[in-house]
Amino acid sequence: MSALPSALERLAAHSVDGLPHLLAARARTDVEVQRLRARLASVELDADVAVVLFGSWGRRELTEHSDDDWLLLVDGPLRDELASDVEEVRSLLGAGDRRPGTQGAFGTVGSGHDLVEHIGLEEDDNRNLTQRMLLMLESVAVVGEDVHRRCWEQVLDRYLAEGRSDHRPPRFFLNDVMRYWRTIAVDFAGKHKDDERKWGLRNAKLRTSRKMLFAGGLVPILRCHALRGADVRPFLAQQLALPASDRVADAFLSADQVDAGVRCLGAYDRWIGMVGDAATREELAGLDRASARDSATFIEVRRLAAEFQNGLLALLFETSLAPAVREYAIF
Amino acid sequence: MRNRLERRLGSVARMMPVAALTDRHPLLAHHPIGASTGFLVDERGDWPRLTERAAALSPFTAELAALSEIELPGLAAYLTHDASLPFHYLSVHAPSKDLRMAESKLVDTLARLPAQVDAIVVHPDVIDDPTEYRRLGSRLVLENMDSRKAGGRTADELAPYFAALPSAGLCLDVAHAYDVDPSLQGAHELLDRYACRLRHLHVSSLDADGHHVSLRDDDEQAFRPILRRCRDVPWILEAPLAP
Repeated sequence: MSALPSALERLAAHSVDGLPHLLAARARTDVEVQRLRARLASVELDADVAVVLFGSWGRRELTEHSDDDWLLLVDGPLRDELASDVEEVRSLLGAGDRRPGTQGAFGTVGSGHDLVEHIGLEEDDNRNLTQRMLLMLESVAVVGEDVHRRCWEQVLDRYLAEGRSDHRPPRFFLNDVMRYWRTIAVDFAGKHKDDERKWGLRNAKLRTSRKMLFAGGLVPILRCHALRGADVRPFLAQQLALPASDRVADAFLSADQVDAGVRCLGAYDRWIGMVGDAATREELAGLDRASARDSATFIEVRRLAAEFQNGLLALLFETSLAPAVREYAIF
Repeated sequence: MRNRLERRLGSVARMMPVAALTDRHPLLAHHPIGASTGFLVDERGDWPRLTERAAALSPFTAELAALSEIELPGLAAYLTHDASLPFHYLSVHAPSKDLRMAESKLVDTLARLPAQVDAIVVHPDVIDDPTEYRRLGSRLVLENMDSRKAGGRTADELAPYFAALPSAGLCLDVAHAYDVDPSLQGAHELLDRYACRLRHLHVSSLDADGHHVSLRDDDEQAFRPILRRCRDVPWILEAPLAP
């Protein structure tokens, strides 16, 4: 029995151009996840530990140049003896150019307990917030899928414990997702105040991949305004198990906004094609704020990003989501 | 001093609730919607003033129209040396009449427009050698023509242009499409075939001579199915809305 077509595939069927880069990246991700699962099968980890990959792995948008942003995730508090497990995983993942990002959130060990218990206040530092958001919005386990799922459900239930009324999006979860997006944007400015290295590539990702991450959380949460309280958890569990691009495509199809969806995901598809090209990626990485202004490549990314955003804004403000956006997304 | 500041602040100083605008005309509820300067004939050539007028309708999008070739050098100089404009999406309408300079020189001038110009609208019937226009890359936007023209009117007639100019976008002039095919099936076909090329719309009605005039109520009703398919792109008004 063949699997039902994904929302992305259904949307692609409406476009004469299709969504070739996204669908190819998805197929590549599936192959590489299976390859990694086989490769890491020999690693002996405790029963409460998972190896989780984030970013393009979780969005199923893997290119040849994607980082291995991984985390050893423990279903409980941290303990000292996990240090050797971290070293073992480090020897197998993130070599060379694929090394995890430098913010300290990846390539290390994280506590599922902290992700659940430290939401807000001082202990919810940037690292904890990042790990929690990426766990919820773009993650895939290559070891310990059950552990990953358990931690994921604990965070979701913590968000929903604050109330699950009929026709009300879960505001606690919504606020944390919006807070994360604003944090990314503010941190981008902070990071590049005195250091413009990789400005072009990071700015391009902020306009595209990071915005997809945010939209992939924002849209399903806002769609809860149409649901009875009892349906919120199963809806979010089903939606957030999908890649972000499927959640966005599904929202366009549900809102009967196929044209805007085709253009929105079509622009994002072309970005995936660009970022998968080594020369383009290298050029973007070498641009600072001033040189980006004259770069045809950066200008094209900016154009595609604007089309992507315009589609998302049409989804949010020109469909039945608009009242929920007005009611919940500002204050 | 105070007058200069007020002039610079423009629409901000005259800020009003959006509801007032949408009550006046429901089309203005679309975002972003902006003005073409092509219909501001009294101020033709005064680019600072034309820009200010366009920004008063919307600081988000506008089309600066150099419809005659003689207007283009002044616009190019203004954009290159003087302008720091607020628009998130800025289109320039390339000359479509009184063309005298060689095509390569015209394209040179268009290609040198600064990066803040997002789109350069060109009428396909002025294109002799499409390869010249490749230099405009994805900033090149082809507009569908009205029934007075011999080509560039339908999806089929635009196909050879897009084949030669793979990065080019589409500006859907709804009134032109309606003029060519009052059933608007032609407009739907343009949207079906070139969905991912669509960059913005031109919105107006046409008079008996094919000139853009204020959108009539019956045309607005007729255009609605097309406008509904284009909620995510800027709409440019090619004539003032009727009061």
